[in-house]
Amino acid sequence: MTAKLLVMWVVVAAGLGAAAYRASPYVKPLLAAPASNRWDRPRERLAGVLADLGLHRRLLRFRYSGVLHAMIFSGFLVLFSAIVQSFGSGLFPGFTLAPIGGQTWIAFLQDVFALVVTVGVGLAAWQRQFIRPKRFQGSNAADAWIIYALVLAVVATMLLEFAFRLAALGHGSPWRPVSSAIARAMLALGVGEDAAAAGAEVAYWLHVAAVLGFLIYIPGSKHRHIFTAAPNLYFRNLRPKGQLAAIDPASPSAGVSEMAQFDWKAKLDLLSCTECGRCQSVCPAYASGLPLSPKTLIMDLRDRMMAEERGQAAGPLIGGAIADETLWSCTTCRACMDICPVHIEQMTKIVDMRRAVVETGAIEPMLQTALGNLQQYGNSFGKPARQRARWTKDLGFPIKNALKEPVDVLWFVGDFASYDPRAQKITARVAGLLHAAGVDFGILFEAERNAGNDVRRVGEEGVFETLARSNIEQLEKCSFRRIMTTDPHTLNALRQEYGVFDCRYEVLHYTQLLDELIRENRLKLEKADGDRVTYHDPCYLGRYNGGFDAPRSLIAASGHALHEMGRCRENSFCCGAGGGRIWMDDSAMKERPSENRIKEALALGDVGTFVVACPKDLVMYSAAVQNLGAQDKIAVRDISELVALASS
Amino acid sequence: MHVAVVLRLIPDISEDLEIDGSGTDIDREWIGFKLNEFDDQALEEAVLLKERHGAKVTAVMLNGEGADRALQTAVARGVDEVVRVDHDDERVFGAPQIAGMLAGPLAEVGATLVLTGVQTPEDVLGQLAPTLAAKLGWPTANAVSGVILRDGEVIAQQEYSGGLSATLRISGPAVLGVQAASQPPRYVSGTKLRQAQSTAIRSLPASASDAVKTGISSLGVPSRSSHAEMLAGDADAVAASVLGVLRERGLLGA
Amino acid sequence: MRALVYSEIHQNAVSPTTRELVTTARRLAGGEGRVEALVAHAALEIMAKDVGGVDETLAIRHPALAQYNPEAQLACLVAAATERKPDVVLLAYTSAGLDLGPALAARLGWPLASYCTAVQVSDGGLAATSQIYGGKLDALINLGLPAVLMMTPGSAQEDDGAAPAALTELPPPPLDDLRTTVLQVDAPDPDAIDITKAARIVSVGRGIGDKDKIEEAAALAALLNAEIAGSRPVIDAGWLPKERQVGKSGRKVKPRLYVALGISGAPEHLEGMGASDLVIAINTDAKAPIFSHAHYGATVDLFDFLEAMKTQLGS
Repeated sequence: MTAKLLVMWVVVAAGLGAAAYRASPYVKPLLAAPASNRWDRPRERLAGVLADLGLHRRLLRFRYSGVLHAMIFSGFLVLFSAIVQSFGSGLFPGFTLAPIGGQTWIAFLQDVFALVVTVGVGLAAWQRQFIRPKRFQGSNAADAWIIYALVLAVVATMLLEFAFRLAALGHGSPWRPVSSAIARAMLALGVGEDAAAAGAEVAYWLHVAAVLGFLIYIPGSKHRHIFTAAPNLYFRNLRPKGQLAAIDPASPSAGVSEMAQFDWKAKLDLLSCTECGRCQSVCPAYASGLPLSPKTLIMDLRDRMMAEERGQAAGPLIGGAIADETLWSCTTCRACMDICPVHIEQMTKIVDMRRAVVETGAIEPMLQTALGNLQQYGNSFGKPARQRARWTKDLGFPIKNALKEPVDVLWFVGDFASYDPRAQKITARVAGLLHAAGVDFGILFEAERNAGNDVRRVGEEGVFETLARSNIEQLEKCSFRRIMTTDPHTLNALRQEYGVFDCRYEVLHYTQLLDELIRENRLKLEKADGDRVTYHDPCYLGRYNGGFDAPRSLIAASGHALHEMGRCRENSFCCGAGGGRIWMDDSAMKERPSENRIKEALALGDVGTFVVACPKDLVMYSAAVQNLGAQDKIAVRDISELVALASS
Repeated sequence: MHVAVVLRLIPDISEDLEIDGSGTDIDREWIGFKLNEFDDQALEEAVLLKERHGAKVTAVMLNGEGADRALQTAVARGVDEVVRVDHDDERVFGAPQIAGMLAGPLAEVGATLVLTGVQTPEDVLGQLAPTLAAKLGWPTANAVSGVILRDGEVIAQQEYSGGLSATLRISGPAVLGVQAASQPPRYVSGTKLRQAQSTAIRSLPASASDAVKTGISSLGVPSRSSHAEMLAGDADAVAASVLGVLRERGLLGA
Repeated sequence: MRALVYSEIHQNAVSPTTRELVTTARRLAGGEGRVEALVAHAALEIMAKDVGGVDETLAIRHPALAQYNPEAQLACLVAAATERKPDVVLLAYTSAGLDLGPALAARLGWPLASYCTAVQVSDGGLAATSQIYGGKLDALINLGLPAVLMMTPGSAQEDDGAAPAALTELPPPPLDDLRTTVLQVDAPDPDAIDITKAARIVSVGRGIGDKDKIEEAAALAALLNAEIAGSRPVIDAGWLPKERQVGKSGRKVKPRLYVALGISGAPEHLEGMGASDLVIAINTDAKAPIFSHAHYGATVDLFDFLEAMKTQLGS
């Protein structure tokens, strides 16, 4: 055993030991955490990881960052071979990758990708220093710069080593174009063969040091995601998007009020955050000036977890590390979870913590009133159940009671569509369209209760269960083929959430039904010369339930040209009503998300109509247009209005 | 100290109320019932006494539709025990009858402080707290807005009109008519309510009450000698009309 | 008919509601009847001259009566009723009335009618009309004599005080072993806002929903040069301070303009503002009792109304 070999072993052992020591406080909370049953469906999980990493789908939604990340990522994969080569040969004399191409195509790739990584880091540094995207606000910049430096150090020392070795041989290699170029420069500068050989040795040790230094630094850095991202993707949620986890009946308390109650997957989430801020940039609460940034939430939870690990945590989790107002700011629009490249679940953690807060009863008066109304009257308006079907009074035709006779389509109307005067107009119009098309439909009249979607998202599992069980009991008495609703929140509850009670209903949004009727020629539209309109994808119809196309098809069928907003389809920007926020006070907002959205529509320059497909959107955006004083520039219309105007 | 809080369910007056066939009562078939607002305040104050002074709290309610559910809600709110007073009377109305029925059970419960709401929307025959107090021979105080215990005595804040109030000290058992608790009634989560659904409810027989001599002879819709002139249109039109009226009367400006 | 009126005394003054009771008592007693008033206090001289219009003032004097004490007052009232055997005892529907009326009725075994807005002699007894269910309905109650009546303040005119009647002192009942003691009496803070002096008031009810929403109503109040006030639930929830409460347990106001937003118009509230010169009520419930006591009303949403008013006033 040579001295060099011994030193190598000692250095690597010490380096890895130090890295393990640094990593251990991060691993311990995961090992001690409650179980998370994400071990099912391994093939599907693995396939998802490969697709996400391989295609960089979510990352490329932010083009510049996506490209530079792809460069660095692919570079790391390739340069891993160089690390294997360096350490392998250093620890096990005689080890070489030459037999499989270590001197040929692998070498070529290493050289090329060293350059690619460097360019990638360069792009990243440029973005951080000069472009300064807003989503980085609140992220740890120092950490980022240290990582850039370490990555460049690893790459540079690697290239230098290759270059010195080539210089020591006196010539380049066609398989190492970049290193050869550097070698030629060295030779031109008069570096002798012996000096080059010595330089290569030094570069080698520096490379080893750089890699070990990188490994030692990583555990405390957001760059640990290079180890945690793939597992985090693997263990992602495979249950339906719109279905929150049920409360464990065996657990004594509801929700999460202490760090210790977060399971290991939740904690892995905290360690996988790269502080990229994509979630922050799409969050409507953050945009409105409320004290919520999904990114900051995850960072704060992570810091709290580590503080507890070190015994330095003081005060409670909720009300201390995480403010109550932060939790209540969320509209549960899911934009954060859908855009996170490592599939972190920010929103579900908020709901978990809300559940614990609701148990203590420490909720604001407006929300208390709404929940009290839901408990007492089955709707958030505090109006008697009898008044639910008042909108049917002046229709001019009777509506079947689905509890008394069989129907083909059971129309689950929803609270807002039933009780809000503005939304009632849409409801009446839709009833007219269905009647004209000869659809066999009926409603539950006063037996209907709030479907419970937002009640669940507010964290009130008890009231949700009461409402859901009541609705299911009524539905079981009916005979129907499918359920239809005009409210996307109701749609989500019936289609996805009620699965928690093992209920599977076929649920349609009214846009789907209308589209069907037009295709089947039961509703005839006269395509007139419509104006240019823009369409807002409701969160619970679009992002949550994939319903993007039917509304667009209806807009086209009614003769209008659609001018899409930038934030459309999966990227739609929430109106701000979801997650129970329509039951909460909004005086802390600097700009309502709905007003932000109307401004986006106005900025298109050529649309006179803002089309919506959700009763709450109609209410929110009508108010926004009024607040902005833009009534003569843009009108808010429900899709049913376009269809009704175009139908004879 | 053992505190009893008497809870009552009353018709939800936000609904449309119709007079029934007999003309002496409202049609109770289709209306909802809810906990009397002031009894809710009394319940909150009782739970606060438990939290602040370690008092034991028993919620008491007469048998009737929704009584069990209301008592279970009281459990979810934090009371120690719930008692349902069973009786066979077809119609229970008015403080004299109710007080008569509760006197025995309350003695059985053994509370030394009885709280209940200062009034209900239908206690035209008298309020429960003072009636019960007279029956039990205990002092009473009504329109109470805060109760604490000190050295085994009751300290109650009584409100009068014109912003006046007084602090009373009562030693020995008493019946108080609560107008407002020291803090607004707390929220109880649906989960707690569901958990409370399995609580056992103790039942006690009602004591015999004197025969009811006086009751409501008839109910009628109040003849309004006047009615507001209703302004038509949406909010903008109404605002314009209102401003017109104010201008006419010289009420705009300084 | 013999009528006994209970005189309510706070801060050494007889309450105006007592004078209303005298009017009613006079009417019930008729020409041949007799009206007596009970004054139970520590210092009688000042009181007696305030209870005009009665045939006789019954006075009970004792140091324990210096401040209103429910237990002591009840003992005096029972003593006076037992001694004088009136056919009807009248009290006002106030905190004192609540303390004493039902307790007296229970003690003596007499029938009682509460929240009375009108009463007449009928068939050897009394026919009382009482507000029930928040004023949505009226209840007719027939009472045999003797009976106790609790009259809603404002249901009669104040008797304008004829010459003070003869004064008879009754021996006080035992008042030395009272279990109730008055520890202190809190008068309203003289520096606090006195809404009874405001010429214009914008008042909010539970319909305002939330403490932060009060700002929107306060903004309108500022534009109208009015004071902001609220009904009892708003004060109970802590959204406005006690000084701004309008109603039976708050302040009685008589402004030139009273705008009621989201207030249903329960009798207790009407008691506090019914005498306003111009009442404009906004409430989405067309059947809200407030509309019977308002001059103008509308069923639009109160926030829409606030927005529209601010826009139109601001411009």
